[in-house]
Amino acid sequence: MNNISKTLIVVIVTALFAGCIEQQKTPDQPINLVKMSGQDMIQRLGTGEIAGFIGWEPYPAIAITKGYGKPLFYSADIWKGHPCCVVAYDYHWYNNTRNADDILNRMALVQLKSVEYINNAKESGSPDHADLINYSMAFGGMTNSSAAELSLKDVQFVYSPNIPGTETFISKIMDFKIFDSNKWNQSGYKNASDYANHLITNRYVDWAVKNRENNLSSIALKETVTIRYGYLLNDIHELPFYVGWQKGWFRAVGINITMAPGTPFENGAFEMQKGFKTNSVDIGSLGIPPVIIHRINSNDFSVDDARVGVISGMNNEGSIIVVAGNITSLADLKGKTVGYPGPGTIQHVLFLMAADNAGLKVSY
Amino acid sequence: MKNNTERKGLVINILSLISFVILWHILVLLAREQIFNIPFMKMKDLPTPLETWYALVGSMFTHTYGPGFTYGIFDHIKASLVRVVQGGVLAFIIGVPVGIGIGYSRLIHNILNPIIEIVRNMPPMAWIPLAIFILVTGGSIFIVFIGVVFPIILNTIYGVRSTDARIIDAARTLGASEAQIVAKVLIPSAFPSIIAGLRIGFGVGWMAIVAAEMVIQSPVGLGYFIWNMGDLGRYAEMVAGMIVIGVVGYIMNISILLVQKRFVKWVD
Amino acid sequence: MGRLVLKGVSRKFNGYLAVSDVNLEVADGEFVCLLGPSGCGKTTLLRMAAGLDAPTEGELFLDDKKIEGVNKEVGFVFQEYVLFPWRTAKGNIEFGPEMKGVQKDERERISQHYIDLVGLKGFENHYPHELSGGMKQRVGIARAYANTPKLLLMDEPFGALDAQTRNLMQGELLRIWEKEHISALFVTHSVDEAVYLADRVVVLSAGPGAVKEIFDVNIPRPRVRTSPEANALRNEILKCLGAEIQRAAGSEREIHR
Ligand SMILES: Nc1ncnc2c1ncn2[C@@H]1O[C@H](COP(=O)(O)OP(=O)(O)OP(=O)(O)O)[C@@H](O)[C@H]1O
Ligand SMILES: [Mg+2]
Repeated sequence: MNNISKTLIVVIVTALFAGCIEQQKTPDQPINLVKMSGQDMIQRLGTGEIAGFIGWEPYPAIAITKGYGKPLFYSADIWKGHPCCVVAYDYHWYNNTRNADDILNRMALVQLKSVEYINNAKESGSPDHADLINYSMAFGGMTNSSAAELSLKDVQFVYSPNIPGTETFISKIMDFKIFDSNKWNQSGYKNASDYANHLITNRYVDWAVKNRENNLSSIALKETVTIRYGYLLNDIHELPFYVGWQKGWFRAVGINITMAPGTPFENGAFEMQKGFKTNSVDIGSLGIPPVIIHRINSNDFSVDDARVGVISGMNNEGSIIVVAGNITSLADLKGKTVGYPGPGTIQHVLFLMAADNAGLKVSY
Repeated sequence: MKNNTERKGLVINILSLISFVILWHILVLLAREQIFNIPFMKMKDLPTPLETWYALVGSMFTHTYGPGFTYGIFDHIKASLVRVVQGGVLAFIIGVPVGIGIGYSRLIHNILNPIIEIVRNMPPMAWIPLAIFILVTGGSIFIVFIGVVFPIILNTIYGVRSTDARIIDAARTLGASEAQIVAKVLIPSAFPSIIAGLRIGFGVGWMAIVAAEMVIQSPVGLGYFIWNMGDLGRYAEMVAGMIVIGVVGYIMNISILLVQKRFVKWVD
Repeated sequence: MGRLVLKGVSRKFNGYLAVSDVNLEVADGEFVCLLGPSGCGKTTLLRMAAGLDAPTEGELFLDDKKIEGVNKEVGFVFQEYVLFPWRTAKGNIEFGPEMKGVQKDERERISQHYIDLVGLKGFENHYPHELSGGMKQRVGIARAYANTPKLLLMDEPFGALDAQTRNLMQGELLRIWEKEHISALFVTHSVDEAVYLADRVVVLSAGPGAVKEIFDVNIPRPRVRTSPEANALRNEILKCLGAEIQRAAGSEREIHR
């Protein structure tokens, strides 16, 4: 019995001791990126559990409006004009759809129209401004119109895909060794530029620009087609899609949008793996890094199940590093926990780039 | 004779493991060559055993790429184990006295039993949302605690209740007070049961920690690792992480068994 | 000292009368054996003497002190040994002194003394499961003795042993008892054992248990089991007991009908 109690005491003391070591933070620790949902980011910044987060709009705007934190870096501060979300189609769907090109042309056209609408309505004097704010609140899951106003400010809505920006992303992802090197070798791409040019085409946007003055119904498809569309949860970046959908512009060009199974997706990694890869998403919007990564990492090259083509941009910029009040620089985040949407997201890459500029280390 | 059957058993164990690995390899290859696929599975996305091995070796230690820093498997094991041990020790410190109280006193039993009966039927995973939204910190440790504490309480109660009434009588005639009965008779008599509860509890706690780490995210931990690798589409690393989870859980179980063998010498 | 007196002791279990009006005395230093059919209340009597159970009527006294609550002045030896399995032989023997707060050196001395007395040398650090039945009961006896009781209560202590070991242990018990002379109340099913051990043999009647007859064993020790006096007494007791056993079996048959 004496032995037993002695051992128990030793075990308990050791465990508690180990726990204390775990809590101790040496001064030169990396910033810890921790994956969490957007709602979690807001909540935990509010409770002080995390020192900051990098997220897509509207989460930063909501956290700032609630007074939980303040912006430390806008994504433009890290990389001016970086590409973000895009519209992409599934290759399997493309190969099995007779008039896929016609459909994609019209998808690009609705994207163009929606972006132009939003960019006009963003001006507070615009007659459409109130509508836009309502759309943002509905799509972004916001209850506060000032958060909606704020969330629109730093997002640049675009329709042209950004090929040079995508190349930069690909090189960064290579630098950060996010690609499975085995799979990269199987893919057969020569370099970042080769890959970017295979991924993205401008032809649909070109068609859309040519037909921008046309009345939508005059160029409608002869027969209405149904598209299973995938998008991300509450992502203000994808507002152009939502506006086009709500305004009935897809319907006007003969496209019936239905939500693909699993929509809205928690992040781009999910949309790629559970959506495009299983052929349950025909067309969808998501961040460009998940597209880049999963086309390589989780792709089965014999059937190219993770192959998608990018037809248009959605937005540039639009992510923010939001931090607690006592944080004034990235260096203040050392040894602290920062929320992010997950590995291989745009926010992940952006944060790594910001840390690189500041000479800091980031664990993930 | 006994040695011989033991050796035979070991050989069969090893052969069975090897056959499983070979079967796994063949199934993946068949799927990749589009000859045969298990329905409803994307078998060809599964890494082969060899790819898994390389992934395991590759992610064993920390890596630094540019500003990025990834933890190695050992860091993940350590982080998960520390959480399980912390939650487990807390559960032990609270569970054993509670179990003894309930086993010993009808009154304490009547007070605590209804609460325990309901709460213990909430699986640890059911506490994850609460841990996220209500707890400020230590969510995963809390989940482990929930997983470990009930097996310990129930086994302690069982241990105390199954103490031979005549042993208690013997202690009484030998002059033991009620406090001494608890300390010198009920606790040692229940000890093997308590350790068994600890073993079951740590098993549950290990499963719970991995589930909790997948939701209550932290920078390190095996649950976090496999989820991260899945997010990146790095299935070989993901499967390697799963195997590590299984092996560590197995080793933990065996260690507690050894501790039990070492310290409970009085059970045949 | 160590005089046990039972005055009109009865015990009812939920209306079932198990022990009925028992009057009995165990004199200081006397060895008394209790014989009786199964279920006649022998164990119940012993438990009441130990204060582990209370009579519904009547009173028990140890040295003129009424027995109320657990009687810590008796040593109880059980049929199935009932040792503490998590303690070694030595640990078991030291249990009583330890509960009383006896210092470690003193405990060592006590346990050593009784280990020597009951012949357990070399087995001090064995756990009960590593000991034979006879060895276990030696531990049980030593444990009872180490608590320096005034009265030994033994409930078929050798009932689980084989015949040879049983004979051996009877001899051992007498040897120990003669060295450390205390009163003993010993329950057995074996007339042979009773005649070999006791100063007096008390035969109880079948349920409800009451004193049927008391036999004095006036045979000097050491006794020879097959001596004519022993044989004669054995026959006498067997006759008395046989009638009771018949009666017990009869009532059992009635119950089963
Ligand atoms: N706690 C109890 N509750 C109810 N009945 C009891 C209890 N203890 C004993 N009895 C009953 O009292 C009677 C006497 O029991 P006891 O154990 O004293 O008999 P015994 O003479 O020791 O029998 P045996 O020789 O088989 O050991 C039995 O009929 C038994 O069923
Ligand atoms: Mg009995």
